[in-house]
Amino acid sequence: MYKILLCWRYLLTRYLALACIISVTLGVATLIVVNSVMSGFSNKLQDRLHGLLSDIVIEGRTFDGFADPDEKMRRIRESAIGEKIAAMSPTMEVFAMMQFRMPIEFGVDEIQTRPVRVIGIDPKSRAAIGGFAEFLEEQKNATEPSFELRDPVARRRYELRQRALKPPLVETDPTQPPPPAPPETEFKIPEGIIVGHALATFRYTNKDGKVVEYDVLKPGSEVILTTVSGRRLMPVYDRFVVCDRFKSEMSEYDANFVFVSLEHLQKLRTMEDRVTSIQIKLKDAREAPLVVAELEKLFPKSVYQVSTWQDKQGPLLAAISIEKGILNILLFMIVGVAGFGILSIFTMIVVEKTRDIGILKALGASNGGIMKIFLGYGLLLGLVGAFFGTGIGLLITERINEIERFLTGMTGQPIFDREIYYFNEIPTYVSTWSILIINFGAVAIAVFFSVIPALKAALLHPVQALRYE
Amino acid sequence: MHDASPILKAVNLHKAYRKDAINVPVLRGLNLEVFEGEFVSVVGASGCGKSTLIHLLGTLDRPDQGRIYLDGSRIDNLPAKQRDRLRNRTFGYIFQFYHLLPELNTLENVLIPHMIELSLWRWWWNRRELKQRAIELLDRVGLSHRLKHKPRELSGGEMQRAAIARALISQPRILLADEPTGNLDAANGAEIIRILRDLNRNHGLTIIMVTHNHELVPLTNRVVRMQDGVTIDQQTINPTKALVG
Repeated sequence: MYKILLCWRYLLTRYLALACIISVTLGVATLIVVNSVMSGFSNKLQDRLHGLLSDIVIEGRTFDGFADPDEKMRRIRESAIGEKIAAMSPTMEVFAMMQFRMPIEFGVDEIQTRPVRVIGIDPKSRAAIGGFAEFLEEQKNATEPSFELRDPVARRRYELRQRALKPPLVETDPTQPPPPAPPETEFKIPEGIIVGHALATFRYTNKDGKVVEYDVLKPGSEVILTTVSGRRLMPVYDRFVVCDRFKSEMSEYDANFVFVSLEHLQKLRTMEDRVTSIQIKLKDAREAPLVVAELEKLFPKSVYQVSTWQDKQGPLLAAISIEKGILNILLFMIVGVAGFGILSIFTMIVVEKTRDIGILKALGASNGGIMKIFLGYGLLLGLVGAFFGTGIGLLITERINEIERFLTGMTGQPIFDREIYYFNEIPTYVSTWSILIINFGAVAIAVFFSVIPALKAALLHPVQALRYE
Repeated sequence: MHDASPILKAVNLHKAYRKDAINVPVLRGLNLEVFEGEFVSVVGASGCGKSTLIHLLGTLDRPDQGRIYLDGSRIDNLPAKQRDRLRNRTFGYIFQFYHLLPELNTLENVLIPHMIELSLWRWWWNRRELKQRAIELLDRVGLSHRLKHKPRELSGGEMQRAAIARALISQPRILLADEPTGNLDAANGAEIIRILRDLNRNHGLTIIMVTHNHELVPLTNRVVRMQDGVTIDQQTINPTKALVG
């Protein structure tokens, strides 16, 4: 009983111990904030990565893919794992160059060329896989997204642009009355294309320090894709009209991906009935390893590669995990520094309390009892510090965007550069397990660093302690 | 001589302290017998080993040589746990500088020996009864109005009375008082001696008191004079029943 009573009284009366509590509080709060932000980024990245990639992908090992995807999908459906499949979609991927004319409002008649990754999809089955329709700006969450330029304003924009670019056929004589206007010709709208948001826009920071976004491609804009045909690798190209934009908030995808109709891409590349991959969505994603093993039996490894989305993004996910681990170790060192603070302050407290230790021993307290007072004191400091640290950490995590804006306003330096990240808010994710581990770690460090002063107190000779001046 | 066997007996006690690599002998073969119900005063010049004797008798320290017996059983070589228990239950301590714990109030200071003795559960179960007993003891030493006061809010005399109450809470068999009036004025010193005599006469408590104040000697049963770490003289002043035999 005396141990608890004295721990509590020491906590309330020794203001020096406040320094220990503050250092533990700061360490815990920092760890929680950094972990939450890192987890937020990591989860968002994983969501985006997984959002765009299906659970499992079957890919051909050659550039020209494989033939007859329908037959392959039928074989999968009829196999033992058929009932585990939620949706499948054939896809063709190829690199290409995309060209487009800068909008008139920019005042420069310039043609831009960008390297892109063209993905030929069947929009309906691709939407069933997920990670596509929900990222479309115009047809957001549409059950049946398409490559049709449906928006009348966009259609009109396309027509006006085409007319503006068309040179006059005859030189007009200013002395003669103008000839009657020719009847408006029906423009043939080319195949639709969905372009990545970062390809369709460019961002820069204006004089006021705000990130401004300009549209260079919007629905109704025309682009030309140049790629290569299948086996003969001859250059092929076609005109497309932008019918929608794709914003996954993953800059790698938004800045590289363009989607076109699979059928059209097959024709353009003279690769009818060939695809480069089949995307598979499972009813239960946890069964992916089992399904992969079965698919590997159906499709020989020499020709096909079957992988999960984690396999495909393995290095990136591993890098995030390693980064988070290293950061955690570094931050726990901050709590370790707090531990050394506890060690020095406790040593001082033991010296200060030498006579009290002698009194307690004279009254029958054992060495173990004295040790427990100081270990308990360390535990209490750790618990109080961790409690306040958790509160502050959670509060900062919840208000991280307001704090970021405030600090950016105060310092003039952007802390979270929205030009780099395509998120408007700093993503956070608070994991109960992380908080428990951080709290446990901080309390363990506080107790660990109390051991030496507690031992010193326990081993004090009672007579020398009573005579201590 | 007397027939009763001593409650506490020291035989050929030697104790030396090391100071700056020099061995300083304090006790050099001291012998002492204390009988139940006695009030013994130990006097002698500073540095003659009075306080060291009290510490050895009360198991706060171990002799370099010699033996100490309690009720005929040797206690100087007991393991630490049993010595802790003796200090908690058999011996009561009063110090010159009171040695109350500054973080605790008067009542809590008095209850500390019980808090050390009992497990958390037993303390919680008996707390009302124990508190009542502590209040009664504080009432007996005239401090019932100072229960919630911290030591810094008490006078020297009050602190020493609180220390006496603390020493008595475990109902010890022997009270060891190391200069209990040494830091008090005459009036407060007299009050402390009055309380100790009352405890000895009316409650039969055995008391060994180290003092410099020769005026207190006539108020005890027996005086032990020390010089250079040995007893040079023992004189019975007011015989107790035990001494009379």
